[in-house]
Amino acid sequence: MRKIWSIIKREYKEAVFKKSFIIITLLMPVLMIALSVLPTLLMMIETKKQTTIHVMDQTEWLFEDFSNSLKDTLKNGIPKFVVSKVSFSENDFESVLAEEKSLIEQEKLAVLLVVPEDIDSVGVVQFYARNVGDFDLTSRIKDTFSKLVSNHRLRESGIQPELINKLIKPVKLKTIKVIKGRKEKEGGFLQEYFSTFIFIFIIYLTIILYATAIMRSIIQEKTSRIVETILSGANSFQFMAGKILGQGAVGFTQYIIWVVFGITLLFAGGSFLPVSSRYFSFNPIIFFYFVVFFILGYFLFSTIYAAIGAITNSEQEAQSLVTPVVLLLVIPLMLIGFIVKNPDSTVTTVFSLIPFFSPIVMFARINLANPPILEVLLSIVLLIITIIGLIWLVAKIFRVGILMYGKRPTLPELVKWIKYH
Amino acid sequence: MEILQAENISKSFGEVHAVKNVDFIISKGKIYGLLGPNGAGKTTTIRMIMNIIVPDSGKITLFGQTMNDRLKSRIGYLPEERGIYPKMKLRDFLRFLGELHDMPSAIIDSKVSYWLKRFDLTDAEFFKVQELSKGNQQKVQLIGSFLHDPELVILDEPFSGLDPVNVNLVKEIILEFKKQDKAIILSTHMMDAAEKICDHVYMIDKGVKVLDGELDEIQQRYGHNAVQLEYKGNGDVVKDLPFVEKINDFGNYIEVQLKDGHSVNELLKAIVDRVEIFRVESRKSTLNEIFINLVTGGSNDA
Repeated sequence: MRKIWSIIKREYKEAVFKKSFIIITLLMPVLMIALSVLPTLLMMIETKKQTTIHVMDQTEWLFEDFSNSLKDTLKNGIPKFVVSKVSFSENDFESVLAEEKSLIEQEKLAVLLVVPEDIDSVGVVQFYARNVGDFDLTSRIKDTFSKLVSNHRLRESGIQPELINKLIKPVKLKTIKVIKGRKEKEGGFLQEYFSTFIFIFIIYLTIILYATAIMRSIIQEKTSRIVETILSGANSFQFMAGKILGQGAVGFTQYIIWVVFGITLLFAGGSFLPVSSRYFSFNPIIFFYFVVFFILGYFLFSTIYAAIGAITNSEQEAQSLVTPVVLLLVIPLMLIGFIVKNPDSTVTTVFSLIPFFSPIVMFARINLANPPILEVLLSIVLLIITIIGLIWLVAKIFRVGILMYGKRPTLPELVKWIKYH
Repeated sequence: MEILQAENISKSFGEVHAVKNVDFIISKGKIYGLLGPNGAGKTTTIRMIMNIIVPDSGKITLFGQTMNDRLKSRIGYLPEERGIYPKMKLRDFLRFLGELHDMPSAIIDSKVSYWLKRFDLTDAEFFKVQELSKGNQQKVQLIGSFLHDPELVILDEPFSGLDPVNVNLVKEIILEFKKQDKAIILSTHMMDAAEKICDHVYMIDKGVKVLDGELDEIQQRYGHNAVQLEYKGNGDVVKDLPFVEKINDFGNYIEVQLKDGHSVNELLKAIVDRVEIFRVESRKSTLNEIFINLVTGGSNDA
């Protein structure tokens, strides 16, 4: 035990003082800030800009209502839209139009709207602009016209638009999530998808990150021929366990730094961080399971990665073996849309019990719905059994592979290694 | 007193028989040479002693127990393939190796200081290992195998890469260990180095033990009884003597091989009145010659 502890300490010290560790640890919070502050920042930049709109109104009745409807203001209180009417006569329509278009080209005008005289029957307004991809703007304008024109049509037919609007008012759905033992929460598919995806993506990313680190350091130690010196004092199992636990401790350190930072960020500014506070609410139960499934997933995959490191001689060589393992992690990631929609379906349940998928799928289920505690426990127990079995298996491969240089073993050879006593 | 006993150990990797039915005994206070050419099975044998690989058959007993991992800390092992942690500071690296060999923390530091001083590395203790020269890295690894005061020291090619001064230092330390009643195994393919220091020799070739015995006994038994002779006069008298096996003429001198059971004195008596002798030198065969003779089937005794 003391030897494993020595190896853990050594691994930990070396990894934590590495430049790459320090950089990633610091970069992540920066990324977190950027992700949460960026939307606010973008909105603030946007607030400074007014949109000038020119309208060539051939109907004579539409412009006034239109400009009255666009009374939105920016954050600093000034009107968002500057709407003005362009006057023209029947003869110079074409030349005025050309003139206005050239204003757009010269970037003196943002939007030109041409409303035909028979808008009631045609139902088309021409929208000239350099940028026609601003979805907010085009839909705002389209909705405004639609409302004004249909009101006009109704009034022309002798019907009170106010009455009609009252009668056909649509029904909205307010979705509220109710789960035993949790606060009721407003939300919908997008929120569910988003928050689940973020969590499992973190699990996915960090498992790969840390497992790869183990594989890489084993390959490096094979290359630097230090392995036999270690084995002169410790045995191969102590060596492997020390590496996996040491690297795990490194990952955990990083996690704690990030979590503390993240929680501080969350509490520090709710209004300041519109995205994060809208989609995340800190729930200790979820967080507990997050840690449990991360740790189990980490042990499962780092053991496999350790075996890959032990039987290969270079990272390039290892890459071809890593691909199928990564696939095991990617499959549940691709299923996430399905899982969010059907968190309690048979397929999801089965996936959440299969050890290689369960760290991600079961955690997603816990985040989405309350799966029966028995299923959660079963999934954890299955994971632990698999991990123990795998460590036993990999220790045997490790013992032989770690001192093998040259050719990568074939599958039958690996089976033979496992049978060695 | 014997501390290590290997009985009939064998190991094969696939079709290759790396070690076949080898047995040997290692006792306290003696230096053993484990000799043989490259690929003879020396490293595999040592790895089996170290319990790094397990023999297919046979039994290894160490300090009276069947070999197990707890005994590792009583052995000092310098592997042939040298490895270091390049980014670690020298002192930290040695501390780590000490911990791996169950040294109590309290004495690690003083031991590390002692050995760094002995190998003239005290000034480098806070350098990263990768900043040291190859020779100094080699010294660091030697320290790693001496640090925990092992009862059995196994050194695989300990002299390779060292300058003559340090070769002498290491030899001195090995002889010191012998005086302290430790057992030492030197594995090497450089037989002339082994010849000067070993008490007992195990020679293996293609995984099979071909020679086992005390060094002087081996030289007596397998070595040829030869005399180098420089003289003036008619050389035919030597050739015709009944106890002369054969003569090699090197121009300036001749080498005379005597038949078994005949001494140099007899030769001198027979020729002293007939030729003028300038130089006489009795010469034993080197281990190298013995080895070559053995593996090429040159000797009837093998």
